[in-house]
Amino acid sequence: MLILGIETSCDETAAALVDDSAVLSNIISSQIDLHASFGGVVPEVASRKHVEAIGYVIKEALDSAHKMLSDIDGIAVSARYGLIGSLIVGVSAAKSLAYALKVPLVGTHHIEGHIFAPILSHPEMPLPHVCLTVSGGHTMLVYVKGLCQYEVMGNTLDDAAGEAFDKIAKFLNIGFPGGPAIDRLSLRGKRTAFDLPRPMVKSRSLDFSFSGLKTCVVNMFRGKEQDTIPLPDVAASFQEAIVDVLVSKAIQAAERKGATAISVTGGVSSNRRLREAFQETCGKLGLEVFFPLPELRTDNAAMVAAAGAARLERGEASGLDLNAVPTAPLESTR
Amino acid sequence: MRILAFDTAAPTNTVGLVDDDRLLADYAWEARDNSLQRIVLNIDQVLKRGGVALEDIEGLAVGIGPGSWTGAKVGVTVAKTLAYAVNKPVCGVTSLEALAYQCRTASVQICPLVDAGKENVYGAFYRPRGKSLVRKGDFYVGDIKGLVAAVKEPTLFLGKPAHLYRRTLARELGPLASYGSPSDSPSGCVFAWIALPRFRKGDSDDALALAPLYLKESLAQALLLKRQQEDSGKPSQ
Repeated sequence: MLILGIETSCDETAAALVDDSAVLSNIISSQIDLHASFGGVVPEVASRKHVEAIGYVIKEALDSAHKMLSDIDGIAVSARYGLIGSLIVGVSAAKSLAYALKVPLVGTHHIEGHIFAPILSHPEMPLPHVCLTVSGGHTMLVYVKGLCQYEVMGNTLDDAAGEAFDKIAKFLNIGFPGGPAIDRLSLRGKRTAFDLPRPMVKSRSLDFSFSGLKTCVVNMFRGKEQDTIPLPDVAASFQEAIVDVLVSKAIQAAERKGATAISVTGGVSSNRRLREAFQETCGKLGLEVFFPLPELRTDNAAMVAAAGAARLERGEASGLDLNAVPTAPLESTR
Repeated sequence: MRILAFDTAAPTNTVGLVDDDRLLADYAWEARDNSLQRIVLNIDQVLKRGGVALEDIEGLAVGIGPGSWTGAKVGVTVAKTLAYAVNKPVCGVTSLEALAYQCRTASVQICPLVDAGKENVYGAFYRPRGKSLVRKGDFYVGDIKGLVAAVKEPTLFLGKPAHLYRRTLARELGPLASYGSPSDSPSGCVFAWIALPRFRKGDSDDALALAPLYLKESLAQALLLKRQQEDSGKPSQ
């Protein structure tokens, strides 16, 4: 079943063709350079860029896979969770294509896409498993009981982990997006240079909170000249605090469910130290850990196509009245 | 020539289907944040009532604004995707020309106005020429006083802001100003008829590149531009 996926929930305009678990094309038009000048994603700027890019991105997804519109069996689109002005562009394009091509349409949850990125990357991955999905927009622990069967175990109470990276990078004036900038700097720094809090790490709750950690760093260095701040040490210590919390909560979740595998997905799964720490800890505990292929870590449409295909196989299609919903719970299949 | 047209940038969303000068079907609804939910279903309804299959239309016309930014993005994205999917030409039509079109036989210049929020208006001046309209100068966005300052001849004001600001217009312009009907939102067919002469000439817009006419930067973009201009204005050290 050849599925065209469309993803425009934040600042990436993406389209992809996925045939069963083969990714035939995965086109992403990133706006990151544009938003860098603002130090963060500006919703109105993002949605205008989506309108400009969406047609080209869809065409490129078909052309680079040497497929024609008439080959498409279904259209999947991220319709829930994200910036409303961005979501509407993908949903407009998806429903128009589904209508014109007379193929089924399915609107999926953005987080469900991220959950499918490691499954698409490693079809052998066991089910059930625990999925930690973590990006600039969300931080969530999900028990994946089966395909499209979810139990949300933990969520961020304030900032997403990637957002905390962005805000600290902005405060330290080391660039946007913050994750890669901090990851690079931390290579030259000491992880134990500063004793930073590990928010909620001792709590029974599997929720996250990164806002206090961010404030702690800001309070330590507020008003100091940038060249007097030991940037690599701050970056390494801050990153370590976040990584510690993410790893320990994911392990707790897996132990609570008796799961033998953990997947780590979303933009922050590109963080070198996070992957290293998961591999170390999971190795010691005899848990398997899976990461998406690099091109499926940040927002992409191949993961949306994979999630949509699973929904369509269960007979779940959306009507042409599909709406874009900025906040919505992650729903399990009926 | 069968043309499907729609507009979701105005408060009243419209779909129209014409065959040359003949109206085959049309539909309008008050958009209460439901443009995205309704547009494709209503396009389908209008095509069915007009007895035309999507593949059998010969061109698409779409309202590109100025008006609701979100509405214009929905309409333009639907138009470009449909045009790409059925491989038909597409024409973008401004909401201002669509408003002016209904009075295209007027003997004076026409100034259609669209609400731009924050007590601002979008506007333009059109001169009737034969059966069509020629825009004079650039589009306007700003307060009504700034627009009035540009008016030196008898002018027919159209659109909701013309009624909202009627006292200002009357005070500043006196007998130079005349007014259209307050309930003059254009039907979907108007967008098709404005596009028709372009299609007949073999002219159309690049579907994939088609973009709304916003006329205003987002607030963040405007602030950034201002900051960059200030920075470049500083003397270098």
